[in-house]
Amino acid sequence: MAVKRWIVPSIFFVFLSGLALVLLGQNLLWKRVYRQPEQPIAFSHEIHVGKLNLKCTTCHTTVEKSIRAGVPAVATCMSCHKAVAADRPQVQKLREFWEKKEPIPWEKIHNLPPHVYFSHKRHIQAGIDCATCHGEVRVMPEIRQVRSLKMGWCVDCHRAKAAPLDCYTCHK
Amino acid sequence: MKTTDLTYSEVNSLVLRMLEPPRKAYFGILFFLLSVVGIGVTAWAYQIFRGMGVTGLNNPVGWGVYITDFVFWVGIAHSGTLISAILYLFRARWRTSIYRSAEAMTVFAVLTAGLFPLIHLGRVWLFYWLFPYPNQRFLWPNFRSPLILDVLAVSTYLTVSSVFFFIGLLPDIAAARDQATGWRKKVYAVLSLGWKGTHRLWHHYGAAYLFFAALATPLVISVHSVVSWDFALSIIPGWHSTIFAPYFVAGAIHSGLAMVLTILIPLRKIFKVEKLITLDNLEAMAKMIILTGLIVGYAYATEFFIAWYSGNQYEYEIFRWRATGDYAAEYWIMVVFNSLIPLLFFVKRIRRSVAWLFALGILINIGMWFERYVIIVTSLAHDFLPYAWGHYKPSLVEFAITLGSFGWFFLLFFSFAKFLPAISIAETKELLPLPVKRGGKRG
Amino acid sequence: MRRRDFIKLLGVASSASVATSCGLTPENSQKLIPYLVPPDREIIPGKGMFLSTTCTECPVHCGISVQVRDKVIQNRHRQVPIKIEGLPGHPINDGRLCIRGQAALHRLYHAERFKQPMRREGDGQFAPISWEEAYQVILQHMAKVKSDQRKIGYLSGRTTGALAELMDSFCTHVGVEKLPEYEPLFPASVVNASFALFGRKELPEYRIDRCDFLLSVGADLLETFGNPVQNSRRIAAQRKKGTFRWVHLEPHVSLTGLNATQRLTPKPDSEWAVIAYLLQRVHQSGRAKKTLPGSVLQEVPQLSIEKVEELTGIPKEKLQHLEESFFASDRPLTIAGGVSTASQNGAFLAALTGLLQWATGQVGATVDYTTAVDYSSVGSAAAMESWLKELDQGRIGVLFISRCNPVGTAPQSWQLHHRLKKADLVVGLADLPDETTALCDIILPVSHSLESWGEVSPRKDVASVLQPVLDPIYETRTEGDILLDLYRLELGAAETVDYREYVQKRWRKASSSRDLPTLMQQGYYSVSAEKRPVRLRETRAANLLRSARPQEKTEAAIVYFPPSLRFYDGRSRRLPLLQEIPDPLSSVSYGRWIAVSVATAKRLGIRDRDELRLGIGEWETQIAARIQPGLPEGVFVVYRDQLDAYPVHHLNPAGEPLSFLSGARLEKTGARVALPILSGSTSDHERGIIAHFKEEKESKHEPQVQMYEPHEHKVYRWAMAIDLEACTGCSACVAACYQENNIPLVGKEEHVRGREMAWIRIEPYYTGEEAEFLPMMCQQCDNAPCEPVCPVYATYHNPEGLNAQIYNRCVGTRYCSNNCPYKARRFNWFDHEWPEPLSWGLNPDVSLRNRGVMEKCTFCVHRIRSAKDAARDEDRLVLDGEVVPACAQTCPADAIVFGNLLDPESRVAKLARSGRAYHVLEELNTQPAVTYLSPHKKEGE
Repeated sequence: MAVKRWIVPSIFFVFLSGLALVLLGQNLLWKRVYRQPEQPIAFSHEIHVGKLNLKCTTCHTTVEKSIRAGVPAVATCMSCHKAVAADRPQVQKLREFWEKKEPIPWEKIHNLPPHVYFSHKRHIQAGIDCATCHGEVRVMPEIRQVRSLKMGWCVDCHRAKAAPLDCYTCHK
Repeated sequence: MKTTDLTYSEVNSLVLRMLEPPRKAYFGILFFLLSVVGIGVTAWAYQIFRGMGVTGLNNPVGWGVYITDFVFWVGIAHSGTLISAILYLFRARWRTSIYRSAEAMTVFAVLTAGLFPLIHLGRVWLFYWLFPYPNQRFLWPNFRSPLILDVLAVSTYLTVSSVFFFIGLLPDIAAARDQATGWRKKVYAVLSLGWKGTHRLWHHYGAAYLFFAALATPLVISVHSVVSWDFALSIIPGWHSTIFAPYFVAGAIHSGLAMVLTILIPLRKIFKVEKLITLDNLEAMAKMIILTGLIVGYAYATEFFIAWYSGNQYEYEIFRWRATGDYAAEYWIMVVFNSLIPLLFFVKRIRRSVAWLFALGILINIGMWFERYVIIVTSLAHDFLPYAWGHYKPSLVEFAITLGSFGWFFLLFFSFAKFLPAISIAETKELLPLPVKRGGKRG
Repeated sequence: MRRRDFIKLLGVASSASVATSCGLTPENSQKLIPYLVPPDREIIPGKGMFLSTTCTECPVHCGISVQVRDKVIQNRHRQVPIKIEGLPGHPINDGRLCIRGQAALHRLYHAERFKQPMRREGDGQFAPISWEEAYQVILQHMAKVKSDQRKIGYLSGRTTGALAELMDSFCTHVGVEKLPEYEPLFPASVVNASFALFGRKELPEYRIDRCDFLLSVGADLLETFGNPVQNSRRIAAQRKKGTFRWVHLEPHVSLTGLNATQRLTPKPDSEWAVIAYLLQRVHQSGRAKKTLPGSVLQEVPQLSIEKVEELTGIPKEKLQHLEESFFASDRPLTIAGGVSTASQNGAFLAALTGLLQWATGQVGATVDYTTAVDYSSVGSAAAMESWLKELDQGRIGVLFISRCNPVGTAPQSWQLHHRLKKADLVVGLADLPDETTALCDIILPVSHSLESWGEVSPRKDVASVLQPVLDPIYETRTEGDILLDLYRLELGAAETVDYREYVQKRWRKASSSRDLPTLMQQGYYSVSAEKRPVRLRETRAANLLRSARPQEKTEAAIVYFPPSLRFYDGRSRRLPLLQEIPDPLSSVSYGRWIAVSVATAKRLGIRDRDELRLGIGEWETQIAARIQPGLPEGVFVVYRDQLDAYPVHHLNPAGEPLSFLSGARLEKTGARVALPILSGSTSDHERGIIAHFKEEKESKHEPQVQMYEPHEHKVYRWAMAIDLEACTGCSACVAACYQENNIPLVGKEEHVRGREMAWIRIEPYYTGEEAEFLPMMCQQCDNAPCEPVCPVYATYHNPEGLNAQIYNRCVGTRYCSNNCPYKARRFNWFDHEWPEPLSWGLNPDVSLRNRGVMEKCTFCVHRIRSAKDAARDEDRLVLDGEVVPACAQTCPADAIVFGNLLDPESRVAKLARSGRAYHVLEELNTQPAVTYLSPHKKEGE
């Protein structure tokens, strides 16, 4: 009959359009939730990692021995920037902070809820590349979040890599 | 004057008169009920934003009035199905005039009961975690948990009873449609699903109704058994008992019948349908109540006997304490109101007196509420570890929400009575002799 | 791929993405604060740093190891302490800590702490002033007072070590009279006796670890007497040996008494008769190791056993039994103290005890004066009266009061609150407001010891080190610095040495060999105390006995005012945590109550929570009743720290205030008090919750059949063993747990409603006169009743046998708690507030639970996690004893053992196999991971 022929295609159509809507919605949501806020200093990973090829551990010193990667002390920045590129406006800002003896209030981009235990050390030692969660920072003039960092996303990876799935692995 | 002396047209007019546009008094009552609901809603909002601490609950006693209300309302629901479905299957003719309101009662009671599992949640804003929905985290509800069984049972019950309710309504909505005018007509028209009353329709209708009656009947047993397992599947002395399923079902019907009395007696007065809902009908229910009352009383006795006979000190201690401890008053209210007072119905004069029926009905409702309260609270307050023994006193918030639930229930029922035929026209007619043309008088 | 599969796939994909997209909340507000300059000592983020210092909550001065965390507070990095633990290897406490020590952070972070110097204005209100101003005022007054030939007095609590030295030189140079130090719990009678007998103004160290028979008289060894942490540790150790017996005589009931092998309750103030009897029997039977000179012996009253029975009310056979076991032991130890020596005949009792110790060769063996506690600088109440007279005559112009609260603790009748006004200026050095600071004219806020440098000497032979673990929170200074400042300002001394340099210089001298960092780490260094032999001084001994003749009067309706486990002499009673934790005997947390014996309660028809009017002489007060099993008829107990002033004024010959009043009038007011009694019943109703040890271990219940497959644990099955023989109920574990796991303090009202939040609690169970104390926490059952009932898997059995509780998954049905036979779960009825600076002390490894969530003990899962993390780095398994939960860590009696049950060699596994092992409510087949070890039945009255 005539009707029969249309059933399958229409199901497809409904599904695909539905899927399209969902993805669109997610995209918008993403833009809303993960838009990166204005940083006090427009620090560029592109320059430091991409161009200068600094290793991540140069600044994020504790990433291999602590649960946290660690953010470089202002002194660390100044150690280079006393001399290097001292005239650049952004570096001027840095100098101001340094002279006012104020720490730089960086906007935190990668946030986990307080009930989550995440250890950088463990993941680095397991040979997970920083980019897996943080994306290719070498091409980011301005750092931004590229992964949802939601439980589902974590669980997917843990399953794929046969990492422990007990709740207490990550929940505290 | 007995039902059978009526004519078809009189039945129509009698029943449909209830649907006439409401008068001031009606709106007055409506407003009153709305404000009662308002109180409940406010209390709930307060509880959500402050925390469960606004209740009287504490460490040993984690459940109190809310779960009591839940069980109470589910219990109310059952008699509805009993009257409409089971008695239908047994062809008990007296049910005809009242089954409609009984069914309505079922649906609304379930709607009320369904609120309480939410109300008692510590973090109600996450209630959807109780439903199995697929998610990337691969998290599912725990199907071993009685609470999940509960969710499933109650939702099933709601679905089936409302469908059953609606099917029963179809012909009468059609009848209403034929009489109504204006926007009401339109609404009825939609609801009646284009019922024409043709022979073919009636044929299918009969089959469908029978089918749903058959489907609803086991639910009366199953749903309240599942509710009882909320307790029976735990290990708490006073809860963990095999008697619970039948015990609760009997209790449910007991309270349900009492509730039917409490509702119908004013109803038939207000809408002047004493001719349809006759004393015989009420008396029949009184007789049922005697039976359920006896069963419940037997259950109480058995519990005690087993508690002593089992030689289990925890079990024994909890029952000794129930009857003599902090909650003795509540306990004896439950015993007297549920298993002794119904025995008064053995007296014909009492069971044929509307006043008595009404009064005793209410007492039994109270008694049944306290039954659930005693079972839940005493068992928790006095379990295994003596150090952890405690005491629970309900708070104002809990009273307010309970009150609100009554408001909510009667609000639904009240609007139903005005909007839909509270008495089955079609089935009432079935009881009447076929109209015969005699000098064109009747018609 | 077939079409159907493809569609299914689409279905899953779309619904999944829907699911994930709901509940996203922007958390972008957080800031990431870097160091300005990285701190000198390397800090690993998320890891604790442990600094050694000394606890100053009481004069015992335990060594502590403080866990410090790096936190961002007000956009600045700051190192703050989050947990205090005993310092392993420290001679005073060797790694263990008591309930008060565990609560010390609540003093540091207390909301009411003095935040800057204050001066009392005309209207009696305090107004903040600067340090300079404060000093100016003080100096002016000092100058004036000196000019008109009056005195400047310096009163302080017991002071030792560097500060004592500095104080002395300060006083001598600046011309201040150092008044005898004031210590409310100073055991004057005992010290006085040991001075008279042996020429030592000292409290000897009682070597319980060396004795095989302990006879203690009134001394509350487990609460406040001597060194409670070490006492309970040694008692537990001796008990493990098996041969040890401990008889305790006390006229009332105390935690110590309830823990003794046998507890005897003599009539109030008749204890001396027992000792006198033993002393004379020693000589008659020629068992004396050192015979006493006749001059002394003739002063010892000769009592027949019948007479002793009549005096003490202890039945004859009990006395004989006591005598036998005392003589049977070859290394006995006799200790008198507490309420028994703080009484009319107390001085005499102390003297007799000293003689008994001497005669039976305890001195030098179990009574050690080489490691004694020096009390030479502490004055008795009598000594205090003498300078108070000077005060009355206005001869003391300026009075410094440091680290003590005489107004709140000294006899009320002394009217201190009036007499202090006699001085032109009263300067208070304190951290928290109390009855005394309320009367001061100037208040100098003293830094908390965790903010201070310093050195104390808990024992003659030990100097314990204090170093700051955080920068002062407020404008406070250490007492040392204050003295140095005044010193400098007064004498215009040029050299500006601060207290830090002062003590460090001292250390360099004292321990030249060791460098400071190691000293800092070790937390103490030993001092060479002079070892001159102890000799008995006959004449003085005889004189003392003569002067302190006992009175044989029997008094009625006696109320004892002993110090309490939780608040010591009252100095700790303002610490919120200690109020939140119930007193183990009565299980009452907040408020004040009078303990009434069962018999008396029956006679007067008193129930718990009845309000009573208690009157003695002109003194009267309203107080709630709490029925206390084990308390003798006609004796009542009110903890002294629950009173705003000490109602007793009578002093005994040794100048020690009595610990009791007689002739109490007691009547019901008819009112009821909302007293938070946390226990539902003080008896276990023969439910076998306390299973006393029986030789033939009859297995009550053969293992039940199970429907479900038992859980299989691959590598670890975490388990705990709790020795009820060792556990004294001291509640240190409870405090430790609170601090470790960010457990909120909910306050009195919530306790009254039965909403205590403690994850571990001490359950007292009385059978007749005896009691056992049961630490109860989540049992981490293998067949956990809570697990199957949770609808959302918020609680489940994890692969390592933990009964996991995932807080952020919990929806709060509370079914788990209902179904828990041990009622070990706690529900968050409200959100909890953590005001600064209290929030600084929160443990970042444990998430905060907000309203509507169930919480409970998880064997300190965060400690397990970090231990496993460390093991993983070294690619090995966690070793036995590597994970130590907070409760086990602090337990002075070492009653709690934690470990992996799957490792047959682990301590816990061995204990779980032992003959004494049993489970609470075993018959429910919950198969707990917590094994209790049966205590032996006490011998009782």
